[in-house]
Amino acid sequence: MDKETVETISYLARLRFDEDNKEKITKDLENIIEFVDQLESADTSDIEPLANPLEKTAKTRSDEITAENRKETFLKNAPDSNKDYFLVPRVVE
Amino acid sequence: MSIQFKTIKELSLMLEKKDISNHELIEETFNLVDKYDKLNAFITLNKENAIEKAKALDNKSSDLALSGIPIAQKDLFVTKNLRTTCGSNILSNFIPPYSATVIENLESSGCISIGKTNMDEFAMGSSNETSFFGNVNNPWGANLVPGGSSGGSAAAVAAGIVPAATGTDTGGSIRQPASLCGITGIKPTYGRISRWGMIAFASSLDQAGPMARTVEDCAILMNQMCSHDSKDTTSLDEAIPDFTKNLNKEIKGKKIGIVKEFDLSKLDKNVVKVFEESKKHYESLGVEFFEVSLPNISLSVPTYYVIAPAECSSNLSRFDGVKYGKRCENPKDLEDLYIRSRSEGFGDEVKRRILIGAYVLSAGFYDAYYKKAQQVRRLIKNDFDDAFKKVDLIMTPTTRGPAFEAGSMSDPIEMYLEDLFTVPANLAGLPGISIPSGHVDNKPLGLQLIGNSLQEDQLLNVAHSFQKTTDWHLKTPDMEINS
Repeated sequence: MDKETVETISYLARLRFDEDNKEKITKDLENIIEFVDQLESADTSDIEPLANPLEKTAKTRSDEITAENRKETFLKNAPDSNKDYFLVPRVVE
Repeated sequence: MSIQFKTIKELSLMLEKKDISNHELIEETFNLVDKYDKLNAFITLNKENAIEKAKALDNKSSDLALSGIPIAQKDLFVTKNLRTTCGSNILSNFIPPYSATVIENLESSGCISIGKTNMDEFAMGSSNETSFFGNVNNPWGANLVPGGSSGGSAAAVAAGIVPAATGTDTGGSIRQPASLCGITGIKPTYGRISRWGMIAFASSLDQAGPMARTVEDCAILMNQMCSHDSKDTTSLDEAIPDFTKNLNKEIKGKKIGIVKEFDLSKLDKNVVKVFEESKKHYESLGVEFFEVSLPNISLSVPTYYVIAPAECSSNLSRFDGVKYGKRCENPKDLEDLYIRSRSEGFGDEVKRRILIGAYVLSAGFYDAYYKKAQQVRRLIKNDFDDAFKKVDLIMTPTTRGPAFEAGSMSDPIEMYLEDLFTVPANLAGLPGISIPSGHVDNKPLGLQLIGNSLQEDQLLNVAHSFQKTTDWHLKTPDMEINS
């Protein structure tokens, strides 16, 4: 783990750290990754990954409309919106 | 008549006998909230609405199972028209347009939600020190942490403000604070309780559950909280038993496993003594103990700290300052909006976990970390499957020790190890309960029982048998001294 890697993953996660914090977070991540590196000791050849303890396939339901349109309710929670859309700074000039 | 430290069962009886009106009960509950506001157990109160509901019950009686019972809701469950923050700045202005299924289930059984409890930000923490809204104090001692992440719920119950509260448990967030605050808390089998409306942290591990003064109250709450929910695709479609039915069953001859790989000699000798005494007590009730081996159990915490951050980094990508939650001031473009809203909105621990998640999921590392952790997760589950061929339940301490002082644990990994005994049940999706089992330095300590999948009734039966014959769960903190 180095500062450059931290910068890359920070960007992937859309997070930013100031210089002081960057050093601390790099150190923390290094320790945590070193800690989880213990996993290497397990023999996992031919072991299927377990993604979910239930291991059940999600059930499908019939393709019917079950929810009403609550556009106004949801737009009310937006930091910025007009009557139809969420608003963000202009993307295309 | 004082309502402090009363159980659901006792309060129901008081209401039934009209020793207290619904309205008085709720007013009195809010008096306790005010009296112990230094605990900082609540983020948002639901006072007006709660009193209105109680008054309505006085005018028109109801025969619902939990009619008029005050309950505190962890601020991780969305509540319609009541602010829900998840302990985070980024949601500090969020008023949900719907309620979680658990909230609906409890309220439609007559419960009155009195407010939203403080918690570690997005449930990431074991001491309630990561909340944007400040630390929660443990009623058992000034400057002691209540545990986390359901720290506000645990403190509110331990202080006797409410008989019960909801919690969620991703790696121990119900059981660990229950242990540190001297109350009872159960994490059911993964999928028992709907996750609809629970703000997701790690979706394959998250499970809601009740926190209360007694096992019996937990069983009463489980009856209302569990349901099959078509809105949650991981919700179990299994018969839901009456969890109170087998509480008093004879436990003689039950086989309990002690995990060979947990080296208790590394713990404080008083902590070990409490555990050994609980074991002796169970033996006196006719329980037989066996050593069981869970060969991969020592890898639980490292496995958890790959899987949970991976799922968290994915789940928390939804907080982008666009659709709801807080947005940074004057974003110069869309990317600036995302980056600054998230960087200002999340606290340090949340950011740390998002980054670990982004790292273990990134190209080149996915197989070495994420896939590997999922494989080890299966090995751990297989270990439990083998153990449950030999024993009915597994018993461990809930925590490595009693409550510690705020600010005393600054190393993230030290804090992660706080969940050593609780994480395995989440990885394997198994039900686990923590019950008060003794005191160390005048601070409570919990005992954990882990059951096989869907066997909560047996877990509750064995835990209730302990409470019928001990009084640790009846001890209350002296808050005049501690405040």
